[in-house]
Amino acid sequence: MSAIAAFSSRNFKEVIRDPLSYIFCLGFPLVMLVIMTLVNESIPAQAGMTIFRIDNLAGGIAVFGLTFVMLFTCMGISKDRAGAFLTRLYASPMRSADFILGYTAPMFLLCVIQIVITFIASFIVSLITGVELSAAGLLLSLAALLPSALMMTGFGLLFGSLFGEKAAPGLCSIVISLASFLGGVWFDADSTGGVLLDICRVLPFYHSTRAARAAAAFDFETCLPSLLITLAYMAAVMAAAIAVFRIKMRADAE
Amino acid sequence: MISVETRQLTKKYKEKTAVDKLDLTVGEGEFFALLGVNGAGKTTTVRMLSCLSKPTSGECFIMGHSCSAEQAKVKRIAAISPQDTAVAEKLTVRENLEMICGIYGFDKAKKSSKTAEMITLFGLGEYENNAAKTLSGGWKRKLSIAMALITEPKVLFLDEPTLGLDVLARRELWEVIRGLKGRITIILTTHYMEEAEQLSDRIAIMINGKLAALGTLSELESMTGETGLENVFVSVAERGRKEAAE
Repeated sequence: MSAIAAFSSRNFKEVIRDPLSYIFCLGFPLVMLVIMTLVNESIPAQAGMTIFRIDNLAGGIAVFGLTFVMLFTCMGISKDRAGAFLTRLYASPMRSADFILGYTAPMFLLCVIQIVITFIASFIVSLITGVELSAAGLLLSLAALLPSALMMTGFGLLFGSLFGEKAAPGLCSIVISLASFLGGVWFDADSTGGVLLDICRVLPFYHSTRAARAAAAFDFETCLPSLLITLAYMAAVMAAAIAVFRIKMRADAE
Repeated sequence: MISVETRQLTKKYKEKTAVDKLDLTVGEGEFFALLGVNGAGKTTTVRMLSCLSKPTSGECFIMGHSCSAEQAKVKRIAAISPQDTAVAEKLTVRENLEMICGIYGFDKAKKSSKTAEMITLFGLGEYENNAAKTLSGGWKRKLSIAMALITEPKVLFLDEPTLGLDVLARRELWEVIRGLKGRITIILTTHYMEEAEQLSDRIAIMINGKLAALGTLSELESMTGETGLENVFVSVAERGRKEAAE
């Protein structure tokens, strides 16, 4: 436990001492929250478009923010693998489980902090715009987002183990774009139908956003199926990430 | 007592044999230098001894514990200061040392006393609250060695500890390393002949993965008929090259 705590603490400090993590993990999602609220205010009520209304936007922006935690997890691991720091730790009594938990725990905590800040900002926006958004609903939405937080951390662990320091950020940017677009953060995926909706439904990001929005609205009938799908994805992604990390750790030792 | 032992230790990467049937013994408290040109097999040997790499065949032991079968025990008693500076860049000097204490399971009191001891030993006091990334190359290397030494190893591997440092920083680091002599077993790999000459009790020269010469400086001088480690090294390396060509 001591090794996990020491390594987690190091990874947490590495992220919170990087100014870029504030810009991408907090600043950018919050700026998008404000911009999209302004866009929503500019859309005439007759259009019947509610995707950017704060009760829908809050969950979407929270999912969007989580993709940046994935990016920072991935960048941290790929950078560690490229340098000699991990060589020292591989020669220490740390086991592969210590490394995996040491990377996952602090990033999961960052996800929770990020969601809380996003929801506080959303709540303030709801008070300003007069759209009803309950604190209890946001708490439920936070709970519904926890599997997504772990899944995004798992994606970061997986990509960081698979890709090198140079390739990792670029590839993560593609995933961020796909996740926010096909996750229905910026458009109402359910109103599209056809192949696009099928693709959205196959991927986990749509279900993350859907579960978060439905939980905030106390719509458990919509939330539960999406939550179960997200949980299944979370388990699969974490299993793949752990397996790949262990394989890479053994390969690095050769 | 034998501190480090290799028996027919071999490492192959596809067609290339990096270490070839290496037999070595290093006594407890000895300062042992491993020399060789690039690709001679020094770092690969150190990696196998510190459980970072598995031997293709043969065995190696640290304080009688097998590096293959008893990795957990070996990792508790051996530490490495890798070739590249292995520090957490955004952590302070003190935090880096405390992190290693945590990884090795030290309690709060021991963590505090060992950190203070290393800061004093390596003269890191002035920089203890500075982020590691702000340190110069020489100070980073000192921190890197302190992070290895804080684990209370019985065997310490120093893989080219002064590589890339200027003359002054190198000399300063030698003084620190010299202070460790006799307290623990140290295996040093280096390209600097002067470094090995000044610090080591015994010197091994590796050529193409094989042990080409082994002994004290005076033994190596008598063996080759040369004076000074640089001349000894060149003589052994050229002999090795000729033998490989034949």
